[in-house]
Amino acid sequence: MDNRILSIENLSIEYSNIRGKVKAVRNVRLDLYKGESLAVIGESGSGKTTLGTAIIRLLPSSGYIKEGKIIYRGNEKEYNIAQFNESELRQFRWKEIAMVFQSALNSFNPVLKIWDQVLDTAKAHGLNNKSIVREKAMDLLRFVQLDPERVINSYPHELSGGMRQRVLIALSLILEPKILILDEPTTALDILTQRNIIELLRIIKKDMGLSMIFISHDLSLAAELADRVATMYAGAIVELGSVNDIFYHPRHPYTLGLIKAVPTVSSSFRELYSIPGSPPDLINLTPGCKFYPRCEYRTKGCEEAEPTLVEITPGHFVACLREGDIADGR
Amino acid sequence: MNWKHLLKSIFIEPLILISRDRAGLIGFIILLSILLMSFIGPYFIKLDTIVKLDQIYQFPSRAHILGTDNQGRDIFSQIVNGGKDVIVVAFLAGLISTLIAVSLGALSAYAGGFTDTVIMFITEIILTIPQFPLLAVLSAFIRLTNPTMLALIIGFLGWPALARAIRAQVLSIRERDYIEAARVLDLGRWHIIFSEILPNMLSYIVISLIMAMTGAVYSQVGLIILGLVPFYGHNWGLMIQLAWTRGAIFYKGSIFYILSPIIAIALFQWSAVTFTRSLEGIFNPRLRIGE
Amino acid sequence: MIRVKRLFSNYIFTRIVRAILTIFIVATLTFFIVRLMPGNPVEIYIGQLISQYGMSFQDAKNQAAALFSINLDAPLYEQYLYYMRNLLRGDFGMSFLSQGTPVSTMITAYLPWTIFSVGISILISFSLGIILGMIAAYRRGGVFDHIISTIAAILSAIPNYLIGILLLIIIGVQLGLIPVSAMRGTVSPGVTPGFNLEFIKDIFSHALLPILTYVVSTVGGWTLSMKSSTLNTLGEDYVTVAKARGLSEMRITFSYVGRNALLPLFTSLTMQMGFLMGGSALIESIFVYKGIGWALGASIAQRDYPVMQAVFLIITIAVIVANFIADLFYSKLDPRIKVGGE
Repeated sequence: MDNRILSIENLSIEYSNIRGKVKAVRNVRLDLYKGESLAVIGESGSGKTTLGTAIIRLLPSSGYIKEGKIIYRGNEKEYNIAQFNESELRQFRWKEIAMVFQSALNSFNPVLKIWDQVLDTAKAHGLNNKSIVREKAMDLLRFVQLDPERVINSYPHELSGGMRQRVLIALSLILEPKILILDEPTTALDILTQRNIIELLRIIKKDMGLSMIFISHDLSLAAELADRVATMYAGAIVELGSVNDIFYHPRHPYTLGLIKAVPTVSSSFRELYSIPGSPPDLINLTPGCKFYPRCEYRTKGCEEAEPTLVEITPGHFVACLREGDIADGR
Repeated sequence: MNWKHLLKSIFIEPLILISRDRAGLIGFIILLSILLMSFIGPYFIKLDTIVKLDQIYQFPSRAHILGTDNQGRDIFSQIVNGGKDVIVVAFLAGLISTLIAVSLGALSAYAGGFTDTVIMFITEIILTIPQFPLLAVLSAFIRLTNPTMLALIIGFLGWPALARAIRAQVLSIRERDYIEAARVLDLGRWHIIFSEILPNMLSYIVISLIMAMTGAVYSQVGLIILGLVPFYGHNWGLMIQLAWTRGAIFYKGSIFYILSPIIAIALFQWSAVTFTRSLEGIFNPRLRIGE
Repeated sequence: MIRVKRLFSNYIFTRIVRAILTIFIVATLTFFIVRLMPGNPVEIYIGQLISQYGMSFQDAKNQAAALFSINLDAPLYEQYLYYMRNLLRGDFGMSFLSQGTPVSTMITAYLPWTIFSVGISILISFSLGIILGMIAAYRRGGVFDHIISTIAAILSAIPNYLIGILLLIIIGVQLGLIPVSAMRGTVSPGVTPGFNLEFIKDIFSHALLPILTYVVSTVGGWTLSMKSSTLNTLGEDYVTVAKARGLSEMRITFSYVGRNALLPLFTSLTMQMGFLMGGSALIESIFVYKGIGWALGASIAQRDYPVMQAVFLIITIAVIVANFIADLFYSKLDPRIKVGGE
């Protein structure tokens, strides 16, 4: 039986822009296994958020899927999300796959109470029994360590940012989805709240057996919560592997750069590192490897053809011509 | 203060940008045409004051582009000569309103505290009182003997609306670094307001001025139509008032006489507003259409 | 207990205080203008009585006092208090021209018509505007949007009284659709007031042109405001999240986008009410619709000072009250307004 709950095959996504077409996601191939947590790491503009929102087809009006499939395996059937119509999408969203967006600060309708918004969600999926929904909601609020009575009757502006993030997470679980996508779940929160949210996510991971996708620029999040990590650059996946592989045996210069850039408590100010240069223009892409201008390991061959993902050890994929050299520490 | 740079950014660049916004361009051209017609036109086309009772209410023809009025006089010449007084008073009134609004609004925002509360309180009070009835009542008491008086009272009642907006603008500029620097250098309150803050709001002030002018046109023509402004020689508003009081509105043949000034005023207002709107888009790129 | 607390809460309380203060200031200003300005109406009137009717100074003074409801013998501050006390009692004095008619009677006769016509117009215009605006926002860039936005821009630039004259000319005179002379006044002679169909039809037919004028001149502004507000709201995060939650288009459009896009428009609602009440002076005069605006115009033209002074005060009070009600309404709609003193 296929253990992959989500398979993204040759997915390319573009945005229409006055200057041309922005190739935000380019020929991405990625699988999510049942019960695993996968982290997609990259800078802004890497395409990670586009990828995430595309899974539930919530691209802004200027974005569209150019080609590829998004296969979801659930209820003993296979579906191609890329081909869903509006009504199929509406049933599918939140019930099978739920997405928690970056910074829940403005994720709630300011004029409706939390309870009304919970009920909205339930009703939209056919759950009309108010008492059942209320019970579920209260349980989930307790689960995310909030006072259910107080929160459920509040308006969003009466709750703090951290509380709203928790409510959103609780709400995401109310229909018992199979996959949970979290886009920058801890960015824009203070450090203590970040810690709380990470702990909460860890509990969810352990207790609920959900498959999760974390999208972030924050590597430490991946280290805490992920089973596998994919690093994305300029719309393509450049490295994919288990959390161990990525952190202890990184083989792509970009992944290396990301790891080096995380300051440690003991490092001094002078040792701060950041990858030089800036991300490429996604409208006019140069041929060859897109990381070339910023790469420490670049050689002549890199400019000619864009490297593809190659499996170097079981489950560890890299798209770099010089990965061998990087492994040997050269 | 780099004057050349300032002039360039106020006049040259906006003109280039306006040409890209179709509605704004049309507005600008129409506005310019009306201004030219009203101020330069009268030198070429004299006001027709000769009564010709055999040519009453004639249809437009080659001799009379817009036809004739109830005494046989050419309407087109009346339109050409009718804009100047209205526009001049509107400009004066707008200028007065804007000057007061800018000074008080900037002071209020910059000084804060008690000054701010007091100024804003007065603004609120004047704003709540409906402007046109107040003007109408005042015109019954104050003898309006010349255009300047008219411009004065309209100007003095029009500033509260602008003052609030100006204050909001200044509040946002006040927090910027170069203001902080000026304050540290102890340059003095009024100096900071006039030399640092206001030049950066010049575009906003110009827009406020034009909007104040359109408001002044509204008030002015309204007062004229109600017959509360006795001194005028000839202008668009007076044409409408005469048509109304003499019952010309109810006579089918007088349609050109009554429509011409209305369309002239409407065109002036519309072109000013449209031009201003595209100016807003230029000076505040976030509002720009299509980008 | 909670209801009493709400009553004394910050928001409503400040509004009430400010409203009363403004009314007080306007009443005071009116008094001082009437009494103190050079060539003020009281002096002129006394002079007139003396020269035209040969009255004695004392008799003239007494008559003027009755008309203006001021006590002319007392020192100024006492006159002021006397005037204020009368105002609170609803005594506005007597009309010049219609000798013996208390101004308060005139006001009760005229005011309701203006409230009726302006009120209905705002309801129609606002409702129509927000619907059109939302559609224009949802179909941004399309044909509907272009046409509606252009028409809206043109209409809102033309002064409302000119639109009134245009409507009068086009509908009344040129097309002859409405018997213009019969349309004067607020009600046809001989029609009995009451909740009967004939009366209702009659008052609406008389109010048709004024209402049409108000609506045509304001609907454009509402449309453009709602369009811009809706566009802003559509970009908000909670709309995207609502879609991610699988909510229906209908629910999102009304409760998530619509309700939030509406809120900023309420501040303009208060300004517009004041503006329309002010404009009623002209528009009612044009159509000879006998409401409070027409009364102001007529009393100014005839220099009937007691009526003028009272009508002006009433118009201001009406605007303040209307604003207050709109503010209350707004505080109910937006839960972020802290009504309670929490």
